[in-house]
Amino acid sequence: MLFAGLDIGSTMTKAVIVDGNEKILAALVGPTGAEHRHLAFQVMDETVRKAGLSFEALDFIVATGYGRINVPFADKQVTEITCHARGIRAIFPGTRIIIDIGGQDSKGIKLNDAGTVANFVMNDKCAAGTGRFLEVISETLGIRLSDLALISAEAEGFVKISNMCTVFAEHEVTSRLAEGARIAEIVAGLHEAIAGRVVNMVRHLGIEKDVVVTGGPAKNAGLVKAIADKVGLPVWVPPEPFITGALGAALLGKGFAKRNATRNQTRRMESVTFFA
Amino acid sequence: MEQREQQGKTAAVKGTDMARKVRGMVKNIYQSAHEAKQAGGKVAYSMIMSQYDEILRAMDIVPLPTENFAGVCAAKRQMDRFLLQAEADGYSQSLCSYARIGLGFDSLRKEGSGIPDNSPDGGMAMPDMMLGSSSVCDPRYKWFQAAGRFLDVPRYNVDVVSPPIRANLEDTRDYYIRYQKEQFRGLIAFLEKQTGRKMSDDRLWESIRLCDEAWRLWYEIDRLRVAVPSPMPSQDHFSIMAAAHYYAGTQIAVDFYQGLYDEVKYKAANKNGVVPDEKYRILYGAGLPPWHTLWIFNYFESFGAVFVIENVYRAYDPVEVPSSVQDPVEYLAWRTFLRVTQWHEKASARSGNPYVEKLLEMAADYKTDGVVFHACRSCRASTLGQTHIKNLLGRYTDIPMMQLTSDMVDLRDYSESQWKAQIGAFIEALAARKRG
Ligand code: SF4
Repeated sequence: MLFAGLDIGSTMTKAVIVDGNEKILAALVGPTGAEHRHLAFQVMDETVRKAGLSFEALDFIVATGYGRINVPFADKQVTEITCHARGIRAIFPGTRIIIDIGGQDSKGIKLNDAGTVANFVMNDKCAAGTGRFLEVISETLGIRLSDLALISAEAEGFVKISNMCTVFAEHEVTSRLAEGARIAEIVAGLHEAIAGRVVNMVRHLGIEKDVVVTGGPAKNAGLVKAIADKVGLPVWVPPEPFITGALGAALLGKGFAKRNATRNQTRRMESVTFFA
Repeated sequence: MEQREQQGKTAAVKGTDMARKVRGMVKNIYQSAHEAKQAGGKVAYSMIMSQYDEILRAMDIVPLPTENFAGVCAAKRQMDRFLLQAEADGYSQSLCSYARIGLGFDSLRKEGSGIPDNSPDGGMAMPDMMLGSSSVCDPRYKWFQAAGRFLDVPRYNVDVVSPPIRANLEDTRDYYIRYQKEQFRGLIAFLEKQTGRKMSDDRLWESIRLCDEAWRLWYEIDRLRVAVPSPMPSQDHFSIMAAAHYYAGTQIAVDFYQGLYDEVKYKAANKNGVVPDEKYRILYGAGLPPWHTLWIFNYFESFGAVFVIENVYRAYDPVEVPSSVQDPVEYLAWRTFLRVTQWHEKASARSGNPYVEKLLEMAADYKTDGVVFHACRSCRASTLGQTHIKNLLGRYTDIPMMQLTSDMVDLRDYSESQWKAQIGAFIEALAARKRG
């Protein structure tokens, strides 16, 4: 049997297909971008082709992420929180705390012994502590997102960025640059600021090991190190942190199929509409 | 689209017929203040849970609950001009938004020499006095301090005291009661000066009797709500509490609760639930309600999740004042003491926190599957400590909990999409726990 998960995030769409043994057959990440909304559908389409399958062969499709609601080809919608929990537990069975840093929001998720969601927290309506914060500031600094980790590795300390607001932090960074601060220390300061904000939020759950950091920004080793320092425990990062939500969605699809959940009878491989 | 929805819909669909009658009662609060002014009567800005309600009734002073007015403005989505006026006057956005609405309203009224046009429920009449209290939080007297100076209206602040959890109540009780009595005596002297009339003890006893009866009935109603399925949801509670707080010490409140008691009893006996298929029973753990978006309770119900009980507004169960107490003011002081120490013994025996003890008892009695908290950014009193309470509660129960964040009235602190995302995840957590 075959199961697919589609995670439509604010910036990226991720798709994963697994077989009955929970083996990943194909996974793909593509942009969601405001002007590319139809790409969410293309990502699914390409993933199916990459796996050498036909869309009809998929037994159950679960959509997640902020764009999950109007997916015409999904059988079920599940929130990112439940999907991340399922996906991460498949990779790290001992996980108790998940820190998910998304493009638009961050979340902390606490799992119980059974691996299901016991509690969660989300940041509110603010880009600070999210991938967007890093994106904006790296643009200001004129460096690529993917270079942030390398650059911060050279830092001998960090410049304190005290503004929580992304817009003000941008000004603050410009002022620090003008005062002669080195970019490496500024980047380290940014990691420090995001880690501080996210870990403070997750502390509400009571931090226990194992702690896993996921979401696109988890690819940034500098940020992960700053988080680990604040948590005071080693933190784990999945091999492909972008796709854990989609993976969880696909695995949940397997569970739904097993429980004979009703499938979407009008499943159509069509564009995703974001606004009804 | 979100904006359109935000403006169109604020109220929740209620579960009981009696709750639907409250709108008229609330409107009447403001109407009767205007009428009293015209008839030469006295009107006082007041704060609920200040323990002085019966004194006002006994002296024919019409209470004007300024906090409730802020809630009314929010429920009608007419709060922005008052909030913005207060902020333009220099009040910080982090100040209690109830206070900002009240201060903004007073400022606009003074500026325009009359009630601002189209004010919700006819607006608040110009008060003859302002009665703050230290019960619950500091804005509840600092607000009237500022407004009183601004409008040149006399004000009085009652100190309502509560001993610490681990205090020896036997040793300290008499001191607390004596001090509380002095506070009420001070208030009465102030009111007698403002009205030029003496308070009658008989009238005070009568309004105490009515107030206690209404609160007893309210307690009995909440006990009926242990029924499965729930006969009355929290959105009704947030309406019907108006009778106990804004009509305290009147026959109106007693009659209202008698009617509600009969209705809830009938519904419970006939298993007439709020939703046809009650899947999850939710405890509203703490925080003022989101007056701007009360339909959110119906949104929960669309997933079969019903708010069956709440830990806000009915802050105390009935208490037994010793029959040896013969003086009505002393009775009020005793009742205050017994009310505020009601959970002390249980708290000091276990968690050290009275809210946690109360929530644990509610979760067990009402068989709740989850707890929802509402953090209101500008209400420190109901928000500070909420995370601690939630974490402490988590040591004694494994039911899922969630904290929504916004404000009680300021829509700028609210995000519908975020709430819906959180609620979706919470419902999934409830479902997962039920599946086991
Ligand atoms: S801070 Fe909270 S409790 Fe105090 S007056 Fe404002 S709303 Fe009421």
